Amino acid sequence: MLTYFARRLLLAVLTTFFISILSFAIIQLPPGDYIDTYIAQLSSSGSAISREEAEALRVQYGLDQPAPVQYLLWMNKIVRGDFGISLEWQRPVSEVIGERLWLTIIVSFAAVMFTWMVALPIGIFSAVKQYSFGDYLATFIGFIGIAIPNFMLGLILMYVGFKYFNMNVGGLFSAEYQSAPWSAAKIGDLMAHLPLPTLVLGFAGMAQLIRIMRANLLDELRKPYVVTARAKGLSEMQVILKYPVRAALNPFASTVGYLLPYVVSGSIIVSLVLGLPTVGPVLLKALIAQDMFLAGTIILLLGLLTVIGTLVSDVLLMWIEPRIRFQIR
Amino acid sequence: MSRKSHMTRRKFLQYSAITGTGLIAVACGAQPTSPPSTPTPVLPPQATGAATAAATAAATKAATSPPAPGANLIGTLEGPTVLTDPAKIPSSFKEAPALAQLVKDGKLPAVKDRLPSEPMVVQPLKEVGKYGGTWRRGFTGPADAENVNRILSADKPLFWDFAGNKIMPSLARDWKVSDDGKTTTLFLRKGVKWSDGKPFTADDWVFWYEDIYLNKDITPTPHPDMTINGKPGVLKKVDDFTVAFEFPEANYLFEDLLAGSTFIGGGQSTRQSTGNAGGGYAPAQYLKQFHAKYAGAEQADKQAKDAKFDSWVTYFKNRIDYGLNPDLPTLGAWHTTQARNTSTFVLERNPYYWVVDSDGNQLPYMDKLQLTLAENLEVLNLRAIGGEYDWQERHTDMQKLPVFIENQQKGNYTVRLDPALNGSDATLHVSQTYSADAEIAKWLRTKEFRQALSMGINRDQLNETFWLGTGKPGNCLPDPSTPFSPGAEWNDKYAKYDANAANALLDKIGLNKKDGDGFRQRTDGKGKLSLDLITVGGQFVPFTKHAEMIREQWRKIGIDANVKELERSLAFQRSKNNENQIMFWANDGSEFLFLFPRHALPVDPAECHMGQAIADWYASGGSQGMEPKDADLRKALDLFRSASGKKRDERVKIAQDIWKLIAENLWTIGTVGRSPAFMGVRIVKNNMGNVPSRQLNAQHGRTPHASLVESVFFKS
Repeated sequence: MLTYFARRLLLAVLTTFFISILSFAIIQLPPGDYIDTYIAQLSSSGSAISREEAEALRVQYGLDQPAPVQYLLWMNKIVRGDFGISLEWQRPVSEVIGERLWLTIIVSFAAVMFTWMVALPIGIFSAVKQYSFGDYLATFIGFIGIAIPNFMLGLILMYVGFKYFNMNVGGLFSAEYQSAPWSAAKIGDLMAHLPLPTLVLGFAGMAQLIRIMRANLLDELRKPYVVTARAKGLSEMQVILKYPVRAALNPFASTVGYLLPYVVSGSIIVSLVLGLPTVGPVLLKALIAQDMFLAGTIILLLGLLTVIGTLVSDVLLMWIEPRIRFQIR
Repeated sequence: MSRKSHMTRRKFLQYSAITGTGLIAVACGAQPTSPPSTPTPVLPPQATGAATAAATAAATKAATSPPAPGANLIGTLEGPTVLTDPAKIPSSFKEAPALAQLVKDGKLPAVKDRLPSEPMVVQPLKEVGKYGGTWRRGFTGPADAENVNRILSADKPLFWDFAGNKIMPSLARDWKVSDDGKTTTLFLRKGVKWSDGKPFTADDWVFWYEDIYLNKDITPTPHPDMTINGKPGVLKKVDDFTVAFEFPEANYLFEDLLAGSTFIGGGQSTRQSTGNAGGGYAPAQYLKQFHAKYAGAEQADKQAKDAKFDSWVTYFKNRIDYGLNPDLPTLGAWHTTQARNTSTFVLERNPYYWVVDSDGNQLPYMDKLQLTLAENLEVLNLRAIGGEYDWQERHTDMQKLPVFIENQQKGNYTVRLDPALNGSDATLHVSQTYSADAEIAKWLRTKEFRQALSMGINRDQLNETFWLGTGKPGNCLPDPSTPFSPGAEWNDKYAKYDANAANALLDKIGLNKKDGDGFRQRTDGKGKLSLDLITVGGQFVPFTKHAEMIREQWRKIGIDANVKELERSLAFQRSKNNENQIMFWANDGSEFLFLFPRHALPVDPAECHMGQAIADWYASGGSQGMEPKDADLRKALDLFRSASGKKRDERVKIAQDIWKLIAENLWTIGTVGRSPAFMGVRIVKNNMGNVPSRQLNAQHGRTPHASLVESVFFKS
């Protein structure tokens, strides 16, 4: 048991090391560097710097060094807990991410909660009442939810909100609360902005979850122990909720690890379309701008969270699934 | 398994969305990718009418029977003026109520003590305004520094009149170029103060020159602006309020550089932000504490490390950025109170601003400038449509013009179009140094081939479809109203659609063999001649769609083309490696040839799409790169090099000669330009006063600074 755990831990550390190399390689993949992107960006916004200024910037940011040296310098900083200064934001990376991390967690958490709270009951319902009108309706909505890309749904809802409800568009705060300190009114403003992204983010996941729950539960419902339970005279509610539903939930527990990176990165495209101040758009912008420290840190963070999440779900599975426990022994 | 597949599916959708933003366009039912043979306006009929009518408002005013909505979108160029007559300086001064209160409380000196003895006096466009209000704008993040840099451009030593043709005083009250052209002297306004109340003097210029420009750590290489033919110039203090730039050779162009958007003349806000260190002067008293020379190398490095910066140089460059450091003393109308790298960029009035209106009211009229971060351009444009911005000319998308017009009443704003002066928004930069395919390279370097390509483009169709009729078809030459234009007749040279002439020309130069589909064959027997058109997506104008339409048009002259859309950095990188055959890019800035030549001639190695190797050759004085073999190009480059040492009249003549060479040779093939596509769609709330009906839209005009926005105000 302990050796199993130790082995998993060692593997996790190794994986993290390779992720760091991979993160760095990803940032180095596109041609050119931050300064090239900067020049192109200036050019497309109608201004410019000279070659001499560009060279000075390159030296200043250490981009004139060969890639392995840049990697070592970066790693050297990271192991000391310093993630560097974002080239584009000109602030410590930890600040840029930190500021948005809480909002990201709030939005993603709300979306996950919404998904689960709506999808699980509907999933159970449509499995129990298979081929009823309600089941068909849930299936119909489910397939629409799976088929519509959620950024598209975001665009449509945003337009509808703007056109018919006079909502102000995008973001999580109205302009007046944007930079205001936290207060009851600001939280109220956040609450007013939260439903739209929650709905958009939750919708596709919800549809998927309904289908999975329905399928898993249908498998279970046909098993002999359910018949036995019924025969013993348990109420229908108890029969379904006590055993088959719990068994059907097992696959969710095993992949709970993937939730961790998701909760932190949010959905990049939806955040972008809805203009949410979350980590997702920052990552995308950092990748486009080749802001290596910022992009590298976020990718590394996501990789690390996946590793931790997998570790957690391994342990979780071991705990709830006796068969795994026995194998290890 | 289940959850996992869910995640990958989501990711897949995300990535496919990233790679193909076109998806949205397709899903929303945008125009077809292969253009029809007749012009199809993308607008609903009445809106197209409006836009087209606007372009030719004067001409068709009488002819149009029902008044189209927004028929006067393009007004007459106008703007406030700077009064230079000393008699016009007001004798008494007034200030904003909030500042008056501070003076009363003893927290601020009286207004007459804050202003210089010779303040800059602005005659507002229409009326003397009143104080108050917050100017709301949108910006796209810390990289969008130019958004506000431009607004603060009064801190440039010299500037232009509202039409962009005549140099006017700004931070300097006057200037003088010596007869031999070797010395340019700036006379500063006596008593100008930094935003912290400390005096602004010639010492601030000397500090920049000696400790920033000549410091090898901050400025590793000399800048071309401060050299003439490779020989360095020097900055000298004459007295407390006079500085002189001295060059070893005649440098008559230097006064233009001081007024232009350049390294030396760009002003503190623009040239010391986002990592740059130009601008000519800097707040010495404040900055010395961060500079190794004054603070000591150890102490300076320690401060930097404490603030998590690598070295004192990176920290110093952070400290001189007005948008990142609210403590930095500045000279602009508004002063940063919340930094640019946050979700809201806020600036408040500078109590020491040295500009007054003709009645003696200290400017600016508006209290605050507040920019909210838009995570993407769609959100920004939707907010503009919703009336959430007071004045926004940046990032507003011309393709959305019909929607902007439709929502004018609801959003309580007015749309105005400010056409630019450069010749072409979608310009085919034909590489003169491409070499991978010898046959193609040969044709790209053949003048007649380029002329035929140009005549094979139906610019009216492009204009109607993509510019909604608001642009002007032509080659890449600047608007005839600019001094450098050789005359209106040159704008159409080889720019009228004429498939017959193009075909005859192609036949004549030896491309007379065609295949069954009518495409011309290569002369080396390797099949049909096929050109690569490189485009970049996500720009102000849809280059890829332009290229696809041109490809269809070229069928009529038997030329085949492949349109390849590349990511922006990749396209630029390929230009740098001389790998692009023909690249689509704008030629903005070229209307002022000597200040920004890179889109007209291959002279600037920082960005060159028509032959990087030639630009390297030019900039290095022949030690690197490739010498151009084209005699006309060589002549144009020689003319260009000679211009700095020539007086204005001669210089203008040289520019006209260069443009004639360009019109004849078409190293860049223009299509449609002089349009509002770049920063020319202006959304202004109806309660704002002193709003010009059309403002200068040009790089040297620092749009919107030519309208001196500090004199714009809220009527209610």
